[in-house]
Amino acid sequence: MKKTNLILVVAVMLTGFVQAQEYKIAKNTGRLELNVGRVTVEGHEGNDIIFSSKNGKSEKDGRAEGLRIVNSLGLDDNTGLGINVTDKGNVVEVFQLKKTHSPDIKVLVPKGVIVSFKHESQYGREARFRNLTNEIEVSALYNSVELENVTGPLTIETTYGHVVANFNSNIKDPVSIVSIYGFIDVTIPQATKANLKLSTSYGDIFVAPEFDIQMASKEGMRVYSDKISGTINGGGINMDLNCNYGKIYLRKK
Amino acid sequence: MEKEKLEGLLIDYIDNNLNAVDRHMIEQELLQNADARRLYEELKEVIQAMEQSAPLLPSSMLRKNFDKVLNEEITASSRRRTIFFQPAFYRVAAAVALMILSGAIGFWINKNNEQQNRLAAIEKEMEATRKQLADTKQMMLGLLDNDQSASQRIKGVNVAMEFSNADDEIVKVLLETLQSDPNTNVRLAALDALAKFKQDPVVRKGLIDALSKQRDPMVQITLIQLMVEMKEKGVVKNLQQIVDDVSTIQAVKDEAYSGILKLS
Repeated sequence: MKKTNLILVVAVMLTGFVQAQEYKIAKNTGRLELNVGRVTVEGHEGNDIIFSSKNGKSEKDGRAEGLRIVNSLGLDDNTGLGINVTDKGNVVEVFQLKKTHSPDIKVLVPKGVIVSFKHESQYGREARFRNLTNEIEVSALYNSVELENVTGPLTIETTYGHVVANFNSNIKDPVSIVSIYGFIDVTIPQATKANLKLSTSYGDIFVAPEFDIQMASKEGMRVYSDKISGTINGGGINMDLNCNYGKIYLRKK
Repeated sequence: MEKEKLEGLLIDYIDNNLNAVDRHMIEQELLQNADARRLYEELKEVIQAMEQSAPLLPSSMLRKNFDKVLNEEITASSRRRTIFFQPAFYRVAAAVALMILSGAIGFWINKNNEQQNRLAAIEKEMEATRKQLADTKQMMLGLLDNDQSASQRIKGVNVAMEFSNADDEIVKVLLETLQSDPNTNVRLAALDALAKFKQDPVVRKGLIDALSKQRDPMVQITLIQLMVEMKEKGVVKNLQQIVDDVSTIQAVKDEAYSGILKLS
């Protein structure tokens, strides 16, 4: 017991050390627009959006003493985390300050906030979303997107990245995931009632054998192609998975 | 006591219609008042005279004449009745004919009513459908108007998917969404909905227009595939432009090449 406690204390201390800085903004509705290269977003019960950095403190630059860091958007680091956060009422905008360096930001968001992630440069990394019942929007060029224990609604689009999504049992309509070059790997509970649209131009579609897809008939003739349209468990939420070169995987939870 | 009131009470006293109190009062009045006594005597006389007069009866001659006339009248009318539909058969036939006629009229009225009711029901149903369509359209426009949530806008587009025929307003809104919605997934959903109405000349033209304006790779790829499916040979020039554009990503260029090959 003592040993466990000790480990816990050390773990908490370590976490405290790594997440030395925190920036809070009181907001539990509206949109959070993350224009950063990488991020981990998690849901929490509070009423604040809380930003923290997993990067340790950067070395202090003696020469920069008395100066402030500026970037081309005219934004400064108002959080001490390498990001600028601006509250515009209905929208909270977040920008990273350097083009090629994306700080490893973690964001805790309350339930009512729509989370939007947008990034275009190739210097970004994964966008991770965990334990969220919030609506999530992603529009990325190179980033891969990982979603764990989410409900949707989801509108995810990435050109070169892949998307992995593991859904909670209460999936909310609609779910739309698009990738041109990457794969889309989705895990849903077996009992999910959904209208599925699975399409890939040059990839393959793999579906767990437990899902009995009732194909939508097209003018009396059944068309087998790489564009599947049908229902599982009698239909329900709209789930649209769309790849061009990538493969689609639909798994049972 | 006033004369009229005294008169009324005296009449009642003579007819023995008074209660004990009033009777006592009248008797006192009669003892003390000579005028009252005189009036009492007069009234009593008149009432007694009225009671004694014999009831007025019609004379026996008048009665006889009346009975005679009545009897003549009864015979005359019964004679006339027997002439009308003499054999019983005719009477039955007339009754049956009347029944059939009234039945037919009843049926005709009923049928007419039924038809009217049915017409009214159809009218009502159409009205309900029209209202429902208007409501659905309103809901769709409302959802598409939500600039905070892309998923709500997709829901709006999905409402459009449920219309079997697109009216001008719906097509216009979907084309606008395809061109200018900030979210790729919403634009793709709009394209999906428009593809359902691709036979509509306005939609066809809108899609061809969108091909030269669209800069979103996934929408471009889907549009090119749709143009190939529609065998829209007129777009080869637009596809060549997409290929020549240096900013076009490789996946779109490849799709455009493939489109040019299939369409020419």
